[in-house]
Amino acid sequence: MTPALLETRGFSHRFGTLLAVDDVTMHVEPGEVVGLLGANGAGKTTLIRALLGLVGSPDGQVRLLGGPPSRQARMRVGYVPQGMGLYDDLTVAENLEFTARAYRARVPQLPPDLAEHSGTLVGSLALGSQRRLAFVCALLHDPEVLVLDEPTSGVDPLARARLWDTVRERAEAGVGVLITTHYMQEAQQCDRLLLMAGGRLVGSGSEEDVVGGTTAVEVRTERWADAFAALEPTGAAVTLSGRSVRVADGDEATLRAVLAQAGVPAELVSVPATIEERMAVLAKDAVR
Amino acid sequence: MVVKEFRELRRDRRTVAMIVFMPLLLLVIFGYAANFSVDSVTTAVVGPQADQVAGMLPDFFDVTTTDTALTEADAHDMVQRRDVDVAFLADGTPVTVLVDGSNLFAAQATVSVLNKMGDQVTADVLFNPDLETSWVMIPAIIGLILTFIGTIVTSIGLVRERTAGTLEQLAVMPIRASTVILGKIAPYFLLAAFDMTLVTVLGVWLFGVPFNGNVAVFALGAAIFLFVVLGLGVFISTISQNAGQAIQVAFMLMLPQILLSGMIFPLDAMAAGVRWIAYGLPLTYFTMISQGVMLRGAPIDSLWLPLGALTVMALLIFTGAVLRFRRDLAPSRRRGHAHGEHVEAATR
Repeated sequence: MTPALLETRGFSHRFGTLLAVDDVTMHVEPGEVVGLLGANGAGKTTLIRALLGLVGSPDGQVRLLGGPPSRQARMRVGYVPQGMGLYDDLTVAENLEFTARAYRARVPQLPPDLAEHSGTLVGSLALGSQRRLAFVCALLHDPEVLVLDEPTSGVDPLARARLWDTVRERAEAGVGVLITTHYMQEAQQCDRLLLMAGGRLVGSGSEEDVVGGTTAVEVRTERWADAFAALEPTGAAVTLSGRSVRVADGDEATLRAVLAQAGVPAELVSVPATIEERMAVLAKDAVR
Repeated sequence: MVVKEFRELRRDRRTVAMIVFMPLLLLVIFGYAANFSVDSVTTAVVGPQADQVAGMLPDFFDVTTTDTALTEADAHDMVQRRDVDVAFLADGTPVTVLVDGSNLFAAQATVSVLNKMGDQVTADVLFNPDLETSWVMIPAIIGLILTFIGTIVTSIGLVRERTAGTLEQLAVMPIRASTVILGKIAPYFLLAAFDMTLVTVLGVWLFGVPFNGNVAVFALGAAIFLFVVLGLGVFISTISQNAGQAIQVAFMLMLPQILLSGMIFPLDAMAAGVRWIAYGLPLTYFTMISQGVMLRGAPIDSLWLPLGALTVMALLIFTGAVLRFRRDLAPSRRRGHAHGEHVEAATR
């Protein structure tokens, strides 16, 4: 059996008294795009850092390409950190050359949109172009695994679509991809999702598996602001979607009573929950 | 706004430390160390009439050696090695007094006392006959420049790597932690060495500062000193989250060195307690080496104390700082036990 490219079993890690990651078991197989989702502080970055061998003395098992996350194993990994890891005071070409030398790889041809900026300092580039360059740097040594920590954050939709094309191309070529994102449209492009909250893995599988048959309550009313104000103090996961209010974990009868007490006329409809709503509920459960 | 400012300040421990530490430091320095007047100088009296001459000297001369068998060459040697500040050659009248001009304030005070003694003595100021301030300052300034580059510039350069997030990228790259550290530090070492050479050459060329000693001894002292200050720079980078913090800490480490290393105020004139602080500062020892080699042509064996002290400091500070920096690049190898097997989950 081929070992997983990335794997943890019962992995936990503390920062002082804070349990940042609690007993997480996960894996990423070749050709798979796995989305790692969770709110800020859920433990995603710590998990990624552990998989790359950047966390000292973890509890549990952490394996990269079938072995401990050693320097040799990292030769076969492409990593785009949240901060991109580029040198602002070096040009596009110089950044590329430095990364290529570090991986003992050939300096690749830049894509046309970056090639015209090859002499530009990275600090002067638009954020989208910087992300593109970080991708090119991460891919230049043909890695077997891609670890991408919010790689499309702050990028316009067109550039995001291009980056996802690249991710998909690589996955089809057998590369395993672990990607964190806050964009739910991106999460829907993943083959499998891992949901983290409070340091724990609270859900995993396809979008359908994660959302399951769960439902939310949509509150339809002209007085949506009043409805929101009345429902929010109940502690339910209340969100605004356009001009309708959605409650991810509400009991319909209770919500109806709260709205009636607030004098807000509304129609309550049970609808399939979105992945964000499912995440909000799981995160709340994890905190309890 | 005022309340917000105080709240922020209260939580910024480094600034609070600076606000408390700086006035105390300045108070101590200017109260106990800021003294240009030297009250006594270490003295050797040699020659056939050494005992008689030694008995006649005023209290200003702290006679540590009296030897009737020693010659002028021995006396010169003692001053050159800085065993004493002043040597009386008691072999006739007038008595020749060799004065160490590289110890500027002591020499100035000595010449002043000797002038009052009239024709009985003749002062011969060695190594800095015109008692030029620049001759004494420039060797010390070389140390200050090395400290500036080693401490401030290095720490900012390393902290920038952390704030930009590139340190993490370096940690993930297949480059050995030792290679990263070497690659980060070597440019600053070379830059500092270049600056040191430039200032030394300009000092000799523009200000006529002599270079009487062995270049290799000077280079050895400078190299060891560079390891100390680079170590301080690396250490500062490991305890700072941004360039502002790094500059703050570096400034707090540099100021005592500027004021207490003997560069401005003579060590001999400082109160004993403050002088001991000075002896804990690396710049004090580099100044001893640079002035010793450049002005007095001091041989390496006479510089064993400053060279030894700097070597110990370099070993402790540089090694400690590099190990701390390495921790960020490559978490220590430790073993976790899980699912019945040992797992090595850190870098190798």
